This record gives sequence, C-alpha cells and structure tokens, in this order.
Amino acid sequence: MADKGERRGGKGEARTFRRRGMGRRKVCRFCADKSMVIDYKDTRALGNFLSERGKIIPSRITGNCARHQRQLTTAIKRARTVALLPYTTAYP
Amino acid sequence: MADRRYETLVLIHPDQGEAGAKELAQRWKALIEEQGGTVSQVQEWGLRDLAYLIAKQRRAFYVLYEYRATPKAVAEIERNLRLADPALRFVTVRQAENAPPAPERPARRPEREESEFEGDLEAMEEVS
Repeated sequence: MADKGERRGGKGEARTFRRRGMGRRKVCRFCADKSMVIDYKDTRALGNFLSERGKIIPSRITGNCARHQRQLTTAIKRARTVALLPYTTAYP
Repeated sequence: MADRRYETLVLIHPDQGEAGAKELAQRWKALIEEQGGTVSQVQEWGLRDLAYLIAKQRRAFYVLYEYRATPKAVAEIERNLRLADPALRFVTVRQAENAPPAPERPARRPEREESEFEGDLEAMEEVS
C-alpha cells in the first residue's frame, strides 16, 4: 500500500509524511467550534463520525478529545435505539 | 421534589395512521401533564424512515416532547410508554437547564437529499 502511494503521488503532490511527534496535529472539532452541539437527534452531524458500515470512528482517527468522543458515542447510541442511525448497514 | 428538564422521543407504530398517531401524541402529552409535568414543546416529525426494521416496520411516526417534570413522574411516564403497544421505542434524556429548546425538526435531512431518498423507495416498491 505504501509503495503504490509513492508512485501515484507523482504529480507535484506534496506527499504528507507524518513523522512521529510531528505532522499535522488533529484538533477536536467540538473544542475548536464551541457552537457545535452534540445532539442525538442531529443525524447529519453524527453521520460524520460513522464509518460506511455505521461503526463509530475512533477518536484516534477523528482527533476528537476524550470528553467529546464520550459525548459523541452516547449520542450515537441513543440515536441507534430510536432508529435514527443504523447499528449496521448489513441488513436486508 | 425539584422538577427537571427532560426530552422524550417516541416512535409510534405506522399502523396507527396519521390521525391515530396524533391522538396518541395528545394522550401522552396529557399523561405528562397528569403527572405534574409542564410540556413546553411537542414536535411531530411525521412518518420517517427507520434506520433498521423495528417490529417488521420500515417507518414510524416520531413525536418529541420537551417538558419539565419530577424524576418520579418520568418513571411513571416511561412505565406507561413501555405498556403501550403502539409505542415501538422511546428514549428519554435529561436536558441541561440552560440548553436551548430543540429547533424544529433538527433530524430532518435537507429537502434535496430527502426527496431523492423517497423517490428511490417508491421506485423500489413499484418494481416489487
């Protein structure tokens, strides 16, 4: 996978190379924008934090802080109980 | 006992029909008030597609209540909802005192996406 990336990224595309401790620091979106509220009814906003299969994306990927990730997961789980969000996409 | 802010979202079985759902929504509003609660807002989202099947149904009527009540009242309201067969699911959340009231139909997708989705569903039904 890494090899392919190197070959493809030829066209003047600066390859982002993250060294340990360096690179772009991800910032929690909810901390950055205080007006963003985590609400279980807001399926569109919550959808940003779900994988295509409907799984919750780890904060390791999204860069959410622990506090907001916690609020987010409970919101997603609430939305799931009332069928606003799927548990999984693999159903008939 | 101090009363607190709550919000309850109830899913009503689609077989109840528009009128039946409205009636049930009214009845549960009365129930909250009977229990000493004060309802500040009732939102009827109408018939919505479910993210997955519940009781073999693909859709349900959604009703959202915002109210103040005591914890005891909430327990009683939830007990009643659990016993009511047309209530497929519900979720009750305690709201922060300073939280703004729920905006009208926040969970609704924008018109474009929604119409697309419904078009697809109808097309599917025609085929089958």
